[in-house]
Amino acid sequence: MNNVRTLLTPYHTPLANFLYRSYAFKSDLKIKWVRPQKIPCYKPEKTGDLEGASQIDRKQVLLDFKESKELSTADDNVKKLFSLEFAPHKHTNRLYVHEFVDKVKRHEYDVASIEVKIAKWTGVIRALQECMERFPRNKKLKVNLKELIDKRKKHLKYLRRWDYKRFEWLLERINMVYKPPPNEFHWVTRRESLKKLTDQHCEKIREERINQYRQQLEHEQPAFLEEKIRTLQFIRNEQKECGAEVTVAQEEIDGCRKLLEDLKLKREDVKMK
Amino acid sequence: MTLQSATRTFMFLGQCVPCVKQGVSKFKVKRLELDENLLKYFPKQEFVYAHDPEKLCKTGDIALLELLPEKLTRLISHKVKKVIYPMGDITDPITGKKVIVGQYRDHIEKVNEVYGRRKDAFDYQKAPQRGWQEDKKDFTHLEIYIKYHESGKDDPAAV
Repeated sequence: MNNVRTLLTPYHTPLANFLYRSYAFKSDLKIKWVRPQKIPCYKPEKTGDLEGASQIDRKQVLLDFKESKELSTADDNVKKLFSLEFAPHKHTNRLYVHEFVDKVKRHEYDVASIEVKIAKWTGVIRALQECMERFPRNKKLKVNLKELIDKRKKHLKYLRRWDYKRFEWLLERINMVYKPPPNEFHWVTRRESLKKLTDQHCEKIREERINQYRQQLEHEQPAFLEEKIRTLQFIRNEQKECGAEVTVAQEEIDGCRKLLEDLKLKREDVKMK
Repeated sequence: MTLQSATRTFMFLGQCVPCVKQGVSKFKVKRLELDENLLKYFPKQEFVYAHDPEKLCKTGDIALLELLPEKLTRLISHKVKKVIYPMGDITDPITGKKVIVGQYRDHIEKVNEVYGRRKDAFDYQKAPQRGWQEDKKDFTHLEIYIKYHESGKDDPAAV
């Protein structure tokens, strides 16, 4: 035990060079880490919705009176009273969801297919997202919205597994982005993030150096090939003159020459461009 | 007794997972391993890289992998022989018809026709092959990670 302790004393042995504190280590690389801003789970950036519910025309007639014959022949003021502008907001949302579901229905009486369900939830989600912007402290609304978003995500996952073509068609129709969940969940910490950034930095340096080395070798290639041809020719001649077994074939030398010519042609082409 | 490692078997099935490398697909291979103390099998996952120059496999497909006589690179030890079960496009092996969960596609179509099919409804005949929304609306081909740094660039793989 004493021996170990003497070994570990950082003062006198050269071992002290290897023993360093593993904690509170600070890298002298100048990597700047910016913590990403937290986006609340109900925001469209997070849920993947590419459009909001606000694009609906508020001068339309209420959903329940759309097919009314009396209203179509009525006075302009009456028509105005039956428009969305003069009705509670829920009527707008109802119309929005109705129109949204209409886009993906299989047939007129379709209310329970998976696309219709997802479209319906999407309509509600987009309406509630607008609402959430106005009342950010409404906790019940937030919970409902979050649950709905998760449910939609789960069913999109199922649909993808069941029927991929329909899944893609639906994404295009309801105009939303689907991203699968990440493999592992973790908190974003300074330490971990810096580790990853440092790894990236090292990888970049490595790639740069490899490229540099490759360029250098390519630069030296013609000279090397000329030298090779000369040497091979010399060996072949010597072997012939001495009457020894000829190990260098003429084809090998010709192959090298061809390589050299091709290389020169290629270089000229690149220069011309 | 432990099972032979999946990577040393001649042929096996694996599920394709996202991989950014070109000409290579990554596969998840699940094996059940016996715990000798509990005498119970537990799933073990292994990851295998397979040579796939034409990118036959997309994320989620289940493919038959074959062991290469020698490794192509340090990682690539297998090649993709055949895609057995493409994801979301299942064929019933007995009747040879396409299936969605518990129903045949034809049956569903027929029911729709009885109710009166809509013109703008989804049609299998007109539908393009899988992958037309890739990188546009469908990002399942990417390895998604939690965003840990604000670099100023918009990375679709970051959540």
